[in-house]
Amino acid sequence: MAAGNPGLTTGVEQNADVRRRNVPGARKSNGSVAASAVSDDKKNRSSKSQLQSFLAILDEWEFVIAPLIFTALSVFTRMYRIGLSDIVTWDEAHFGKFGSHYIKREFYFDVHPPLGKMLVGLSGYLAGYNGSFEFKSGEKYPEDVNYTFMRLFNSVFGVVCIPLAYYTARELNFRRPTVWLISLMVLFENSYATISRFILLDSMLLCFTFTTTFCWAKFHRLQKESFSPNWFIWLFLTGLSIGCVCSVKMVGLFCTALVGLYTIEDLWNKFGDLKMPKVVLAQHLAARVVCLIIVPILVYMFSFYIHFLILENSGPGDAQMSSLFQANLRGTEVGRDSPLEIALGSKVTLKNMGYGGGLLHSHVQTYPEGSGQQQVTCYHHKDANNDWFIYPNREQPDFSPIDPIDPLKFVGHGDTIRLIHAQTGRNLHSHHVSAPVTKSDNEVSCYGNTTVGDDKDHWTIEVVSDVASKDRSKIRTLTTAFRLRHTSLGCYLRAANVVLPQWGFKQTETSCVKDNRPGDVHAHWNVESHANERLPPGNPGSYKSPFIKDFIHLNVAMMTSNNALVPDPDKQDDLASQFWQWPILHVGLRMCSWDDSVVKYLLLGNPIVYWGSTASLVIFGLLISWYLIRWQRGYRDLNQADIDHIHYSGLYPLLGWVLHYLPFIIMARVTYVHHYYPALYYAILTAGFCLDWLTRAMDSKPRWALYSILYGVVIGLFVLFRAIVFGMEGSNQQWAHLNWLRNWRIV
Amino acid sequence: MDRKLQDTLGARPSDSRPSKSKRDTAAKRIDFGSDGVTDHNILNLPTSDYKLLAAITLLAAIVRLFRIYQPTSVVFDEVHFGGFASKYIKGKFFMDVHPPLAKLLITLSAWLAGFDGEFDFKDIGKDYLEPGVPYVAMRLLPAILGVLTAPLMFLILKVTGCRTATAVMGAVLVTFENALTTQSRFILLDSPLVFCTALTVLSFSCFTNQQEQGPSKAFRGPWWLWLTATGICLGATASVKWVGLFTIAWVGTLTILQLWVLLGDTRTVTLRLWFKHFFARVFCLIIVPIGFYIGIFAIHFLCLVNPGDGDGFMSSEFQATLNHKGMQDVPADVAFGSRISIRHLNTQGGYLHSHNHMYPTGSKQQQITLYPHKDENNVFIVENMTQPLDTNGQEIPGPFAWDNLTADYVEDGATIKLYHVMTHRRIHSHDVRPPITEADWQNEISAYGYEGFAGDANDLFRVEIVPSMSDGKEAKKRLRTIETKFRLIHVMTGCVLFSHKVKLPDWGFEQQEVTCAKGGSLPNSVWYVESNSHNTLPEDTEKVNYRNPGFLGKFWELQKVMWITNAGLVESHAWDSRPPSWPTLRRGINFWGKDHRQVYLLGNPLIWWSSTTAIAIYVIFKGIAVLRWQRSCGDYDDVNFKRFDYEIGTTVLGWALHYFPFYLMARQLFLHHYLPALYFAIIILCQTLDFAAFRFSVRSVTPQPTFGKAFIAVFLALSIVSFVVYSPIVYGNPWTQDACNRVKLFSTWDFDCNTFYTDLSQYTTQYVNTGDDVQSDATATQPQGNPQIVHSPPSGNVTPQPEQPEVVSHEERVEYRDQDGNLLDEEQVAAFKKDGQVSFQTRYETRTRVVNAEGQEIFNGEYAPPHPDVEGQNPETGGRRDEKPVGNRPASAAGEGKSLRHEGHGQPRPASEGKEATAQ
Repeated sequence: MAAGNPGLTTGVEQNADVRRRNVPGARKSNGSVAASAVSDDKKNRSSKSQLQSFLAILDEWEFVIAPLIFTALSVFTRMYRIGLSDIVTWDEAHFGKFGSHYIKREFYFDVHPPLGKMLVGLSGYLAGYNGSFEFKSGEKYPEDVNYTFMRLFNSVFGVVCIPLAYYTARELNFRRPTVWLISLMVLFENSYATISRFILLDSMLLCFTFTTTFCWAKFHRLQKESFSPNWFIWLFLTGLSIGCVCSVKMVGLFCTALVGLYTIEDLWNKFGDLKMPKVVLAQHLAARVVCLIIVPILVYMFSFYIHFLILENSGPGDAQMSSLFQANLRGTEVGRDSPLEIALGSKVTLKNMGYGGGLLHSHVQTYPEGSGQQQVTCYHHKDANNDWFIYPNREQPDFSPIDPIDPLKFVGHGDTIRLIHAQTGRNLHSHHVSAPVTKSDNEVSCYGNTTVGDDKDHWTIEVVSDVASKDRSKIRTLTTAFRLRHTSLGCYLRAANVVLPQWGFKQTETSCVKDNRPGDVHAHWNVESHANERLPPGNPGSYKSPFIKDFIHLNVAMMTSNNALVPDPDKQDDLASQFWQWPILHVGLRMCSWDDSVVKYLLLGNPIVYWGSTASLVIFGLLISWYLIRWQRGYRDLNQADIDHIHYSGLYPLLGWVLHYLPFIIMARVTYVHHYYPALYYAILTAGFCLDWLTRAMDSKPRWALYSILYGVVIGLFVLFRAIVFGMEGSNQQWAHLNWLRNWRIV
Repeated sequence: MDRKLQDTLGARPSDSRPSKSKRDTAAKRIDFGSDGVTDHNILNLPTSDYKLLAAITLLAAIVRLFRIYQPTSVVFDEVHFGGFASKYIKGKFFMDVHPPLAKLLITLSAWLAGFDGEFDFKDIGKDYLEPGVPYVAMRLLPAILGVLTAPLMFLILKVTGCRTATAVMGAVLVTFENALTTQSRFILLDSPLVFCTALTVLSFSCFTNQQEQGPSKAFRGPWWLWLTATGICLGATASVKWVGLFTIAWVGTLTILQLWVLLGDTRTVTLRLWFKHFFARVFCLIIVPIGFYIGIFAIHFLCLVNPGDGDGFMSSEFQATLNHKGMQDVPADVAFGSRISIRHLNTQGGYLHSHNHMYPTGSKQQQITLYPHKDENNVFIVENMTQPLDTNGQEIPGPFAWDNLTADYVEDGATIKLYHVMTHRRIHSHDVRPPITEADWQNEISAYGYEGFAGDANDLFRVEIVPSMSDGKEAKKRLRTIETKFRLIHVMTGCVLFSHKVKLPDWGFEQQEVTCAKGGSLPNSVWYVESNSHNTLPEDTEKVNYRNPGFLGKFWELQKVMWITNAGLVESHAWDSRPPSWPTLRRGINFWGKDHRQVYLLGNPLIWWSSTTAIAIYVIFKGIAVLRWQRSCGDYDDVNFKRFDYEIGTTVLGWALHYFPFYLMARQLFLHHYLPALYFAIIILCQTLDFAAFRFSVRSVTPQPTFGKAFIAVFLALSIVSFVVYSPIVYGNPWTQDACNRVKLFSTWDFDCNTFYTDLSQYTTQYVNTGDDVQSDATATQPQGNPQIVHSPPSGNVTPQPEQPEVVSHEERVEYRDQDGNLLDEEQVAAFKKDGQVSFQTRYETRTRVVNAEGQEIFNGEYAPPHPDVEGQNPETGGRRDEKPVGNRPASAAGEGKSLRHEGHGQPRPASEGKEATAQ
C-alpha cells in the first residue's frame, strides 16, 4: 500500500511543490501514476554509481527497514530489565488482582470494561499463575508468580505502538524526516516506555488508540476507492479497533468521537455532492453504520459476554448485580434453598432493582436532622442489618411468626404489610418530613416496634412484573419485581444512587417519592434472600436473567461508580494531578515507595516531547488563524490540496487532542498524569504536522540538519532520563540533577 | 465581498465556506452592509407609534400595579432581598451570591420611602403593615421596571423591522405573561434583570441596525450612541445577576461575527479602519461594562461599612477593613513565653480554642476546636521544648518561666508546646480517631495535663514555616505575627495540625473540628498568629497589623467568594426544577400562601407553549435550510429567506445562550431562571409571525395583512383570557376550589387548590385588615388534612396551637445564628439592631462561659422546637414512643435547633440564595 504513494517513496530528493502536485495525481489514477513515477526515478538513478543504487534500494525499502529498526529499539526500551523490580508496583495492585479473579473465575466489579483485564488474566494464565496471589501494593511477588512474563505480555502492546505510529505518520502524508521524528517521539517517550512495562491497562489502551488512528488514516487515504475490498477491510478494521479501545477503558469513547466526527463530515460532503446518486450515498451511510457503529458495539458486548462466561463463580462483585444474576453464580448464597413464595413471618432481604441498587438496610444510628429517627439506607454489603420481617398490618389480627397454629398466609399484589427490621425490631416508616438529601421526597426511617407505631408503618405491595409467573397473588423470591407504596402518604419507596453524607456512612439514600412512575426501576424491589421455617425450600434461581439485561445493568453500575470517584478535598493526594499540569509536564508520579531499598520508577515524560508537542498545538492554532484571516481578507494562499492536507493531517490530530483532553477538564473525578497519554499521541502528530508544514519550503540539507538535531535531542533526553524508565536503584539523590522542576519529585 | 457576507450571515452555524450557487447571486451591495436592511431608528417612528407606545405602557402599568399592596406580608425571596435592604440601610456587611445593583436600587426606593431598616423580613408571611414597612415603595421599583419591559418589547420588535401590529402583539404578550407579572410584583431581582436584558437587546438591536446599513452609518452619532448604550446596559445586566454574563456572551458572539464580516470587506474597510471598529467595540463592550460593574461594587462597599453576618465568608484582611473589626497593632515577633492566639488560614473557622469540656468519644480528653470569636480561651503560651535555666543553672519550671527572660524568638523548625492558659492543659495528639472524621489518616487533637504538669512527648509540635505564603524575609525565618504562615507538625507521629469545614455536634457547640492529619491538604494545614504579647517586649517593639487589601483586593476576593458560594448551592429545594422542564412549563414555584389565598409563579401557558413552538419551528427550519444549502438549492438568494434566517437566528442564539448554560449548573435552579430566555422566546414568536404574516410571499403572492392582523387579534384575546384565568394566583386574589381545579391542567402544577374557599362569598374579610388575622390564619384549616409536622417558631409572632395537631404552620423562619452556629433569640437580634459592635463581641464571650458553666446544655429549653415525636404533637407517632432512644444520640437532640429548617410540604419557601450566608 505504501508503495502506491510516490509522495513518500521519492520524497527525499523532491521539493515540496513537486510532491504536492503528485499527491492528487496519484490518487486519481489509482496508483498507476505512482508506479511510473517510481520507475522514472529508477531510470534516473541507474546511470549513477553502485553506492547510489544501494541507497536507492534502501530508499525503496525504507518503509520496511525503518519500522523494523524502530521496533527493535522499542523492544529494548519497553522490555530491558523488565523484571528488575519484584514488588507489586502502583496499579498492578488493581489489575493484577482483577487478572486473578479471571483465573479463579470469581465475579468482581470494576469501573473499567473487561477486555484489558481479561488480557491481563490471559497473561497470567499463560504464565502458569494460579490466581492465589493477592497483589497487595508494594508486596513482593512470590516464587510461583511469573510476573516477568505478565509484564512482557503487556509491554508487547507498548512495542506495537511504534510501527503503528510510523505507518500512521506515513498515511498522514508527512515527509520522511517527519515520519521518523514522530516515530522517535513515540519511541523515546519516557512515560510511554514506563507505563508499558507494568501490568496495567494503559499500554493496551495506547495500543488500541494507535490502531484506531492508523486504521482511520488508512481508510481516509482510500477515500477515492470507495467500496473496494481494501476500503471495506480498513473500514471494518477501524470499527474493530474502536470496539477494542472502548472495551479496554471508557477513554476509548473519545477516540470513537474523533472517527465519528470524521465520518459525519465525510458523509456531509458526500451529501453536498450533487453528482453522487442517492443510492450510493445510502450505501456509504449503511457501510459506516454497520462498520463503525454496529461492529464496535458487538465487540464491546462480546467482551462482556466472555466476561460473564468466564466469571461463573460468586465473588466480591456480586452485590452490584441483580438478584437473579447472583443466583446463577456458582457458590452463591442467593436463592439457595430459599422458599419460593413469601408469606407473613418470612425473613427477607429486599434488593433495589435500579442499576447499582443495593439492599434495603437500617442501623441503629439516627438521622441527624429531619425526624431524628433511625436511618434507613440502601447498602451493597451483605450483613444482618439487611434482614426484614414481613408482618401483617396493624388492622389485621395479631400475629405470631413462630406459632405454627396460624394458617400460613402468603402476600401478594395489593396486600398491606409492615416491614420490621430484624436487628432493631423497628418498623419501616415514612412521614411528611423532607428526605435528608432529596428534599422533595419524604424521609424513610425506622420507628417504633411491633406494638408501638401507627398506620404510617404500612406499605402496600404493587407487583410490577414477575419473570416466572403471571400470577400476582404471591410474591416470589428473586423473580417478582414489586413496588412498595406507603399506604397513608401514597409515595413509593425508592433508592436512586444518591449518596448520604458521612453521618450516613456514604450509603445510598432511601426515600419515599411522591411521583407515581411505574417505569422507574429505582422504585422496584425484589426479594433476594428469603427464610421461613414453615415453607419448603425451593429453587427460585432456576430462571436465568437475559444477557442483555445483565450487560446494561453492569454498564450503568460502572458509570455510576466511576462518577463517584470524587477526591476527598481534605486529603493531599500526591499522586493525583490536575489537567493543566499535564501538557506542560509540571508533575511526575512516583509509582512506588521512594525507599533506597526499592527499585524506583517515575512516570515522567520526555521534556522535549511534552513541551514541544504542547507548543506545536499553539503554533498550529496560530497557523490556522493566520490562514483564515488571510482568506477572509481575500488572499488565496493555499490550493485545495494544501487545504486538504492541513485539514486531515493537521486539524484532525488537533481535534483528537482536544477530544482526549477536554473531558478531563470537565470531569470531577480524580485525575492522574497517565490520563493524558492518549492525548499526547495526538499532540505529537500535531507537532509532526507543524514541523512538516513549516519546513516545506526548506532545502533538503538544512532540513535534514534541523531534523537531525531534533532526533538527537529526543534521544538524548530519553537517555538522560533513562533511569526513571529502567528503574532507579539505590539512593534517589543520585538523580538529584534531573529534578528540573520541584514537582517532578525525583528527589 | 458581498457574496461572502451573505454566506457568513446566511449559513452562519454551519460554516462560511462559499458555495457555488451563492457565487452566482447578483451582487447588490459592495460593502459590509446587509441586503434588505432599512433604517429602523426608533427615534424616528411615526407619531401614531408613540401614541401606541404610551397606551401600551399604561396598560402594562395597570396590569402590573393592580393591588400591588397585596399580599401585605413577606412573599418568597423578599425574605432575602428585603432583608438586604435593611442591611444596606444599617450598613451591615452581608454576603450574597448576586451583584449589588438591583439590591441597591431597592434599598434606594425603600430609603426614599423612609424605611429605617428596622424590619428583618425573616419569614414568608410576616406582616408588613403593623411595623409600617414601606413595602409598596420597595415593590414599586421592580414593578415599574417590569412595566417598562412591555414598551421595550414594542421598540425591540420595531427596530428589528417588524410591523407595528406585531410589535403591539409582543408588548401585550409581555404584559399578560403571568410569570413576568408575578415576578415583577415583589421585591425580587428578576424583574430588574429582565428589564436590563431587554434594554441591552434594544440597544444592541439598534446598533446592529446601524451597522448593517453599511459604511455610511458607521461612526456616526446614533452608531456611537447605541454602541455605548449597549456597553452600559451590559454592565447593568451583569451587575444585577451573573446571568447577565449570558447576555454578554450573546452580544460578544454577534460582535465577533460583525467584525468577521467587516474583515471580509476588502473594498471599503482598510485594516486601519477595521482596527478602529475593533477598538471602538473593545472600549464600549468590554471596558465600559467592567467599569460599570466595578463602580457598582464601589458603591456597595461604601454602603456596607459595619460588620454583619457576611463577615464569616471573608478573609481576616477583608474583615479588618470593616468598622470596629480592625484591631490594634500587635508585636511582630513571637518569642518563647508569648501569649498568642492562633488562627486557621483557609477556613473562616476562627481561632484555635479550648474549653473545659471533654470529647465524649475517643480519648475523652479536653476538646480543641476552632472558635470564630476573640476569647480568653483562645490564648496559648508558646513554650520551648526545654525549660530555661536560671542564673544558677537550675531549670525554671512552669509555663511562665520565660516571662522575665529576654525574648528568645521562635525560629523555623523550633519545637514548641502550646499551653492553654485558662485550663492549664497543653495541646496534645495521639493515635486516636477524631470525633467526627473517622479517617485513618487523621488523629485526634486534645488538650491534656493539669496545672503543674510538665507535659509529655505527645505535646511537642515542630514549627514549619511555609515560605511561599509568608510575607517578608524575616517572616520566612522566624515566627512573626500575621506575616508568617506555618504548619505545626506533631513530633511523635508526624501528623500536622489540621482543620476543615466540619462542625462538631452539640457537645462541641457546633464549633469547627480540629484534627491532626497525615497528608492533609496544605491549605487546611496552615495557621498564623493573630494576637501576641510578651512581658519583656518593650513598648516600642516593631508592630504589625493586617495588610489593607485595597478596593480591588476586596472586590476580587468578594467575587471569588460569591462564585464559590454560588457553586455550593447544590442542596435540593422543595420548589426547585431543572432546565428541561422550563420551556414546557412543567412546574411553578409557590411564592406565598395564607389566608386562603395563594401566590404561585406560573407562566401563561398559551404564551409559554407557543413561544417554545416558535423556537422549535425555527430549529426545524434551520435544519432543513442547512441540508438544502449543502445540496446547493439556492434558498439564500431570496432576501426574505436570508433575513428570516439571520434575524430569528440571532434571537434564537440569545434564547439558547440564556437557557442552555443552566444545564451545566449543578446548583439549585428555579423556574424564574427561565424568564430572560422567555423574553427572547417571545421576541422569536413575534418575529416568526411577522415574517409569516407580512413578509413571506408564496409564488410571488404577498399575503393579505388583514389575515395577519386578525390572527394577532385572536391570539391576543386568547392570551388575555388565559392570563385572567390564572390571575388569582398572580395577585393573590380570592378564588374558588372548583375554579382552581378546573384550570389545573397538570398534576405537576402543584398549587394547592384546597387552600381556597369553595365559594367566593366566604372571602368576607377585607384583605387589607390583618393584625389579628395573622394570629388566626396560622390555625386555619389545613390543606388536604394531612397530618404534618408542626414547628412552632420561637418568636411570639405566630404561634400554631400545639393542641391542634392537624395544623400545618404556614410559617417558617430564617434562623439567626452567631458565627459558631448558636441560635439567637429575639432579644439578641434586637440587641444587634442597635449595631453596637463592642457589646456584640462581649455578649458572645459571656455566653460561652455561661454555657460552659451549665455543662452540656447549650440551648436553654426555649430554643429547642417541640419535636413532633417527643412532644406529642403528632398523636399517631407521639406519646407511645416510650422506649429508649436508640443510637448514639438521643432522638430528641436530633431535632434540636435543626428541624426548624424543615417545614411541612407544600409551603412556600425562599430560595436559599441568601440563606447560606447566615447558616455558615
